[in-house]
Amino acid sequence: MMLPGGAGLKKARGIIIAIIMVAVLWAIASRVLARPFLPGPGSAMAALVQLVADGTLFVHAGASLGRVLWALAFSFVPAAALGLVAGRSRRANAFVSPFIYIVHPLPKVAFLPIIMLVFGLGDVSKIVLVGIIIFSQILVSARDSARRVPRQLIDSVRSLGATRFDLAMRVVVPATLPDLLTSLRVSLGTAIAVLFLAETFATETGLGYLIVDAWSRIDYPEMYAAIMALSMLGLGLFVIVDGAERLLCPWRSERV
Amino acid sequence: MVAVRELALEYKRAAAAASGPDRVPAVADITCQFRTAAISAIVGPSGCGKTSIVQAIAGLLAPSTGDISIEGMPVRGVRPRTAVIFQDFGLLPWRTVEGNAELPLVIAGIRRSERRRRVDPVLRELGLSAFRSFFPAGLSGGMKQRVAIARALVSEPDLLLMDEPFSSLDALTREAAQEFLLQVRCSRPMTIILVTHSIEEAVYLAETVFVMSGRNPGTMRKRFDIPENRFESRFLTDFRSSQRYLELCGAIRAALRESGRTDDGAVQ
Repeated sequence: MMLPGGAGLKKARGIIIAIIMVAVLWAIASRVLARPFLPGPGSAMAALVQLVADGTLFVHAGASLGRVLWALAFSFVPAAALGLVAGRSRRANAFVSPFIYIVHPLPKVAFLPIIMLVFGLGDVSKIVLVGIIIFSQILVSARDSARRVPRQLIDSVRSLGATRFDLAMRVVVPATLPDLLTSLRVSLGTAIAVLFLAETFATETGLGYLIVDAWSRIDYPEMYAAIMALSMLGLGLFVIVDGAERLLCPWRSERV
Repeated sequence: MVAVRELALEYKRAAAAASGPDRVPAVADITCQFRTAAISAIVGPSGCGKTSIVQAIAGLLAPSTGDISIEGMPVRGVRPRTAVIFQDFGLLPWRTVEGNAELPLVIAGIRRSERRRRVDPVLRELGLSAFRSFFPAGLSGGMKQRVAIARALVSEPDLLLMDEPFSSLDALTREAAQEFLLQVRCSRPMTIILVTHSIEEAVYLAETVFVMSGRNPGTMRKRFDIPENRFESRFLTDFRSSQRYLELCGAIRAALRESGRTDDGAVQ
C-alpha cells in the first residue's frame, strides 16, 4: 500500500502502528496471565491520565528531562570537539586514543558510589553519571567519523587556500554531522537507561523515582503509566534529533 | 610558464603499514616545462606519481628536493590563481551547486553580493543556473564536473590543474566534457595541465604530452609535441580521425610499453 505524504508522515504512521501493536500484545498478555503485576493498557492509561491531571507527571518528567538535557549539554559538545580533533590530528590522537581504550569499555555505572561521594546526593551526581557514560560514546564515534572524512575533500578545499579553521568548519564538521547526530541518538537511549538507575537512588523526583515508588506501593497501573511516560520522553527526544537532522543535513534527503 | 626543475616528491606512508620506511618516494628527477596558455598533459600508468606532481604544482605537497615556479615565481604553498579539479570533482556534498561554485570566494572572505556578481555569469555560461540550489548528489557525473569547472573559474585562474578529470565519466559524456573544456579554454587564456591515464585523451587535448613511467619513484620518460593542437590551428580539421592522431597514439603507447611495467587500463 502506498502511503501519501512525505517521509516524516510515513515515519509517524509507522510509529503509531507500532504503538497500537504493542498495546494489543500487552492487552492479550495481560488477559492471558491475569496477574496483578500486569494490568492491561487501559488501566495504565487511566493512571497516566490521573498523573497528568494532578500535575505529578510534569514534575517528574520535567526533572528527568532536565537531567538528560544537562548531561547532553555538558558532554556532547566537548566530546564531539575532542573526538574530531583526535580524528584529524595524529598528535592529539596519541593522547586521546589510549584514554579511550582504557575508559570506554569500563562499566562506568560502577562509579555511581564514587560520583555520589564526590558530587553529593543531588542532581549534579545524576547528571555527571549520565554525562560521563555518553561522553566516551560520542568521543569514539566523533573520532572515527573524522578519520573517515575523504582525503580528497580536504585537499580540494585546501587547494582554495583554506586555513585549518576553514577546513574544520567547512569540511570536518559538516562531513561528520550526520554521524554526530547518530551518536547523539544512540547516547540518548543510553542516557535514559542510566537515568532510570540514577533516579532510583537518593531522590524524590524523576520518572525513575516514580516507577520505583509506584512499585513499592504495589500500584502497578501507575508504575506502567510512569514507564510509558519514560518511553514517551525517549521517543520525543528521538523525534527532535530526527528533526534536527532534516534541518541541519538537507543534502542527505536528496540522496536516493 | 610552469617550470619544474629536478623535482623529487615523497609521501608519508599510512600509519597502518608498520614495516618499511615512513616515507616513500613518489617521483624523482622530474624536469619539465609547461607552456603558458597551452594545454599540456602528463600520461602514465597508475602509481607513477602523476597526481603527486599536480599536488606539488598546486602547493599542496612540498618538494623534498628541486623546485617549481609559476610565471617566474617559486611555489610556496597554495597560490590564489591556481585552480585544481580533482578526480572525483572534490565537491562538498553539503553545499549546493551555487555553494560549491562560490567556495573559493567564501574562503577568500568576499562579501555575499560580490560573490553573487561573480558566480552568476559563470553558472550561466556553464548552463548551471537552473541547478543552482541542487546538491551534488542529485546531479549526473557530467553536471558535477561542470560544477567543479565553475568552482575553478570563479577564482579567475591563470593556471588550471586537472587530475584525471574525465576518468569517472562514461564514454559519451567524456567526449562532450573534453569539447566543453576546449570551449571554456577558448574564452580564457589559461595554462592547463592535465593528468590522465588515457593516451587518446592526452593526444586529443594537449599540445605537449609528457610520458611518465616507473613507480616509487616515477620518472619522466619522453615528451611529444603536437603543434596541431595549438589554439591557432585547432578546429581546422577533425584531428581525432586523422592519420597523424593515430600515429601519435601509437608512439605514446610504445613509449609507455618500452618503459617496462604497465598495468591494466593504463595502456589502452
